[in-house]
Amino acid sequence: MERLQEICGPEHVTNVYADRICYRRDCGPTPGGIPDIVVRPQSTAEITQIFRLANEVRKPVFLWGRATTFVDHGVQEGCILLALDLMNRILKIDLENQVVTTEAGAIWHAVDSELNKLGWEIAVPGGGGMFSCTIGGTVAYNAVPHGITEYGVTGRHVVALEAVLPDGTVVRTGSAANRDAPLPIERGANGPDLAGLFIGACGTLGAITEVTLRINRIPETERFLFYAFDTVDQCVDAAAAVQRQNGATFLIGLFGGPPPANVSGKAFLHMIIRDGQTRAAERVRTCQSVCESYFGRPQDPEGTKRYWLGHMYSWLRNTPPNAYYGSRPYYCPEVAGFLPTLALKQAIPALHEYVRTNAEFARAGMRVKGMDVYFSPNAAFLWVDTLYPEMSPEAKQVGLRVRAEIAELLFGRWMSPGGIVSGIAPYIMPRLGSAYDLMKTLKRALDPNNILNPGVLLLGKDQE
Amino acid sequence: MTDTKAPELQLQAVAQSTYECLRCAFCYDLSWLGSTNLCPSYTWGSFESYGGRGRVALARALLEGELEYDESLIPRIFACTECRACAEHCFKYIDTVKVYDRMRQDMAVRGLIPPELKIAVDQLVASHNLYGKPHEKRLSWLKDRSRVDQPAPVAFFVGCTPSYVRRSLAEDFYSVLDSSDLDFTVLSDEWCCGHPFLAAGQTERAAEVMSHNVEALQDLGVEQLIFECPGCMRTFREDIPAVLGEPLPFEVLHITEAIAEFVEEGRLQFSIYQPGTVVTYHDPCTLGRGLGIYDAPRAIIAAMPGMRLQEMPRHGRDAYCCGAGSFVRYDYASLTDQTGVERFWEAAATGAQLLLTSCPACVTQFQNVRAALDSPLQVMDLISLVKQVARWK
Ligand SMILES: Cc1cc2nc3c(=O)[nH]c(=O)nc-3n(C[C@H](O)[C@H](O)[C@H](O)COP(=O)(O)OP(=O)(O)OC[C@H]3O[C@@H](n4cnc5c(N)ncnc54)[C@H](O)[C@@H]3O)c2cc1C
Ligand code: SF4
Ligand code: SF4
Repeated sequence: MERLQEICGPEHVTNVYADRICYRRDCGPTPGGIPDIVVRPQSTAEITQIFRLANEVRKPVFLWGRATTFVDHGVQEGCILLALDLMNRILKIDLENQVVTTEAGAIWHAVDSELNKLGWEIAVPGGGGMFSCTIGGTVAYNAVPHGITEYGVTGRHVVALEAVLPDGTVVRTGSAANRDAPLPIERGANGPDLAGLFIGACGTLGAITEVTLRINRIPETERFLFYAFDTVDQCVDAAAAVQRQNGATFLIGLFGGPPPANVSGKAFLHMIIRDGQTRAAERVRTCQSVCESYFGRPQDPEGTKRYWLGHMYSWLRNTPPNAYYGSRPYYCPEVAGFLPTLALKQAIPALHEYVRTNAEFARAGMRVKGMDVYFSPNAAFLWVDTLYPEMSPEAKQVGLRVRAEIAELLFGRWMSPGGIVSGIAPYIMPRLGSAYDLMKTLKRALDPNNILNPGVLLLGKDQE
Repeated sequence: MTDTKAPELQLQAVAQSTYECLRCAFCYDLSWLGSTNLCPSYTWGSFESYGGRGRVALARALLEGELEYDESLIPRIFACTECRACAEHCFKYIDTVKVYDRMRQDMAVRGLIPPELKIAVDQLVASHNLYGKPHEKRLSWLKDRSRVDQPAPVAFFVGCTPSYVRRSLAEDFYSVLDSSDLDFTVLSDEWCCGHPFLAAGQTERAAEVMSHNVEALQDLGVEQLIFECPGCMRTFREDIPAVLGEPLPFEVLHITEAIAEFVEEGRLQFSIYQPGTVVTYHDPCTLGRGLGIYDAPRAIIAAMPGMRLQEMPRHGRDAYCCGAGSFVRYDYASLTDQTGVERFWEAAATGAQLLLTSCPACVTQFQNVRAALDSPLQVMDLISLVKQVARWK
């Protein structure tokens, strides 16, 4: 405690129980362990010193961006927890080289908003947690962003990183690694893609302290489309065709949960198109003709527009946020991941069948919030959101069983998750074979004492 | 030792709200405005236990028996200006401040109140004002007593701060109302509205003063009560019906709403204050987020010739607190100071010459900050400005 106070200043270190108990849980269903000490470092140098100390005293460290992941991120009991949101400076907006560099604790949408004032934006908008999640946590989790259909996953837009390895070594990646010309302009420079080592690693291989991301001019126009389909197959075929023709910037499918208000159909596609006026008009026509050739019925896209502008999921179902989110003491044991677009034709009916035939599901008061798809450029990112009544401990157990069974159903046939944290790791890591072995080898090499985010990806000695 | 087995948890009444929390942390940032703070308490206290998500987590831990009320919780529950920014922006529409209020009530029953606040509310019992001044001096700012305690359809609820420490404000409001053709009265036996008792978690004491005020106003046949202090008004509008369990027997109105109505009806016009004055307007938390009154003050400013309103980045629903809310200054002066300075600089950065607001606590706070910073930015209550430039028809 004293040494941490020396490093970070007494006002940024606490061991008061009432403080510590607030740092154990993400948005997932299960509280993790309670840290022994919570620290809010303010610089890379402080993190370096903390890691050295943690190795010396063999104490685990957990990295806390804003803890907005959904699936139990796995704070280890008795750890030193580093809450990173004081490291929130925008270090450089470099319009000439089209990049922005920030500290890892900067809030994603805050950075975007600063860029918007200049007519620019981060090359990818962030996911639904953008209003509160940190840049570092989002890159470490490799979040699935809004706009993934055109832009791809978050990690694709990382140009360079600064990271502190578990032993306290500071590394810079890509073109920024060159000590004599540390310019963060190209990820692919200077050998292997070291940035890739930290993207999606959820803090197991190092703490990201600075991030350089690509930025773009804000496109000239935004157009919106919304279609209803009478069968899942027609909707999936339409989606695959829109993907093939680069029709939409962001293509979203709804295949379960409450249908959009005042619209009939079995499956639905929302489309957001961002481009120059002429090209946007062409892409709109492409999307329209594709959807109509698969018997899609055009609907009022006002909800699509509101969703895009406010980033509130409720609008995907034509429902205002207060009606959708208010008074719902439910928790969501989400299962999500990528699968081939056409595999949705089997996966969606299988999921509906699972829910229909699972007697426990209804008995526990569970419901389906959504089986929604963010289409990537070539695949489908499906998130199955089930809800259980949070105030019932029995329902929670059912909810966790449902998560395990849905993970088994999907990961066993079609699906691989994007970001992985401890709540989902047991269902996927053992399936990864030699890739899992390689990850463990890397972890051993970089973190022999297994101090950093132990348990998050099940890479440490105790998990072998 | 603290008696933690004491009475049933008031928190039970809002248990569902604590379970509704998604833990999304949308209650920490105004990220759509860029890198800027939403919660003065989190900014000051540094750990999540001082912010919306953390306080709700504390509530849940208390409900589930993982945490017990003790001294460590005093700053974590009471060093909050109750500015409602977290509630306003909650993803799940949780009235987080209701959760904090219940925790305050539980703490009060267990004798866990910040020491200076406790002294202030204890003396309030005898003096009926937060400043411990003699009750009989409450109307000493008022020279013409002809309206005092007269039956009238309208009453002006003065509040403690204008009555005792910002008397010029009381005079200005009175004078503006006096110039209108309203038939209004003022109570000689007005007591503090009860808000400080609620802030200290003392509902029973609050109920007593609330009953006194309501009965005194009813005795004069009052149908409409006008306020300058948004805190007093919210106490009447929201808390009195909840605490006393019955609807208010009269309407409540903020003075800016009354003035905006006079302007709209054409009964009130304004002369030029100083040509080309740029003003900025600070939405008092309780007037804005607490009572939903954002437009009336702006309509008044818009009707003033030659005046230009330059909004601060954080305004309306997104306005940042001045730091004075919920009496935090008594025990956590640095929270008040730090927040006030941050907000004052934001106002100064607009380039305005005049910082306007509509709350005696905000005016007092900004005047203190201005003096400390020796800034040229003038601070004024909107109604004091109205008084200077009003031209009644
Ligand atoms: C309303 C809502 C909607 C959401 N929608 C989406 C969505 O559409 N798509 C999506 O993918 N996610 C979504 N999420 C989940 C979440 O917002 C994102 O995954 C987010 O990017 C995580 O950022 P964070 O700062 O909260 O990271 P955290 O949750 O704090 O951290 C994530 C992981 O990274 C580690 N970590 C944190 N900071 C660092 C760092 N600096 N260096 C190394 N490791 C670090 C943590 O230990 C943890 O393992 C949503 C969340 C909410 C609340
Ligand atoms: S009411 Fe204001 S000070 Fe209190 S927790 Fe909410 S935002 Fe922070
Ligand atoms: S915004 Fe509301 S739901 Fe989200 S963490 Fe804060 S209190 Fe909880």
